Amino acid sequence: MNSSTSTGKPLRISGLTKTYATRAGEMVPALGPVSVHVEAGEFVVVVGPSGCGKTTLLHVLAGFLKPTEGQILVGDEPIAGPNVDRSVVFQSYALFPWLSVLGNVEFGLRYKPLSKEARREIALRFLRLVGLQDFANRGIDELSGGMKQRVAIARAFAVDPSILLMDEPFGALDALTRRFLQRELLRIWEEQRRTVVFITHSVTEALFLADRILLMSSRPGQIKGEWRVTTPRPRDITSSELVDLERQIYLLLDEELAKTFAQEGQNPHG
Amino acid sequence: MGRTRWVLARASRVLPFFFAALVIVVVWEIVVVLTKPEPSILPPPIAVVATFGHLVLNGELGIDTAYSLGRVISAWLLSAVVAVPLGLLMGSSKSIEHIINPFVELLRPISPLAWIPLAILWFGIGESGKVFVVYIGAFFPILLNTVAGAKDIDPALLHAGEVFGCDTRLKLFRRVVVPASMPAIVVGLRVGFGTGWAAIIAAELVAAQNGLGYLIANGMDILRADEVLVGMIAIGILGFLFDTFFRYLQSRFGYGGR
Repeated sequence: MNSSTSTGKPLRISGLTKTYATRAGEMVPALGPVSVHVEAGEFVVVVGPSGCGKTTLLHVLAGFLKPTEGQILVGDEPIAGPNVDRSVVFQSYALFPWLSVLGNVEFGLRYKPLSKEARREIALRFLRLVGLQDFANRGIDELSGGMKQRVAIARAFAVDPSILLMDEPFGALDALTRRFLQRELLRIWEEQRRTVVFITHSVTEALFLADRILLMSSRPGQIKGEWRVTTPRPRDITSSELVDLERQIYLLLDEELAKTFAQEGQNPHG
Repeated sequence: MGRTRWVLARASRVLPFFFAALVIVVVWEIVVVLTKPEPSILPPPIAVVATFGHLVLNGELGIDTAYSLGRVISAWLLSAVVAVPLGLLMGSSKSIEHIINPFVELLRPISPLAWIPLAILWFGIGESGKVFVVYIGAFFPILLNTVAGAKDIDPALLHAGEVFGCDTRLKLFRRVVVPASMPAIVVGLRVGFGTGWAAIIAAELVAAQNGLGYLIANGMDILRADEVLVGMIAIGILGFLFDTFFRYLQSRFGYGGR
């Protein structure tokens, strides 16, 4: 079934910072320094308050932004710009509305050395994996939000990436769809094991999904706390073990939230 | 049941247009009955219908329509060939936009009709002068809509294009920027055709030996208000049909964008 035997590659982030220049020429640190080592096949979830720089972190990892300082290694290779090897699932789905469902999943396979038939076969296999094989020829506008995100997940896995970057992928969905897709994602990930960096502001989501949870502080975003979640999946997030962990995370998170709101009070443009 | 509903839905869209046409004809008839004008100034509707039939049957209306349409379509296509690529470039590159935009802003307020005298001086009353005027009329709506479409692309779509294999600007342009701008381009083509259609009539009024604008101008010269009105009605109907056709295209290619 699985054409790839890889389980993804390790991701080594060392001394990463990102600084923005404001229009007034002021340098504003948004991120870092961040140093994290993600193992091959590990599911890491980054939690933090809005505006803490977690999306900046993901955009640097994806290659959309150049880091100000520091180094990112995928396996032994430094990253140079966006690449299918680090595929992305976006919060806004970012599907191409002029292509069919199948066309969207095939999009990333176009520049791989594959015949047309092989490309189609791979795309259909991943659509089957997310349960949308019957929608292959539908238009994107005909799908619900949850279905769109399943297409986006199929697109992201189909290119056989070493690392999967997920930017609050379920943030725009209702609570029940979200719950369903979290389970779906774990099922797919268990079959197509990859290194995953998943961004969210939901502690519950992190507890349900992660091998390891990283808590990011408010600007500049730094890793404030780190927890390994060893509870076997599927997890019951009401178990005493996870409730206890949740309490620890909120203890630190609340400090960060207080700081975030204090910053906002000082600087109305922050 | 379903069939009936379909017919009703269709009818509810088309009926208001027939109603509007009917109101225009009734008001026109009332004016004619009350003021009894010279038929050479304002003929009754029935006389215009007769002239319309006569000009259709003797082929004159068809020939004039063909001339006008031929000029508009060729000029509009030439306009699109330049305005669409230029608009896409301006919309996806800030520096190109900075260089080109002043030209656009300075030339755009000049009505295409204001170019007619220069067109006659430069090209005489041959075909190229009229094509030139329509070209200018169609150019700016196509250009500005295309620029807006290319600038308005969801940044996440561009990011997705980069992640999923578009590793050069050219690939990203071809596979994301162009298709994502398509709905806005179709809007530009529709509006551009409309302004081009208005411009060709004006150009033919002044400098032509055929075409619907000429039919109108000639009708005035020989005191045939019925021919003037036939020309105007033909212009209205054709403009409406083309706009409807483009709206249909828009609904076919008018995917939401995000």
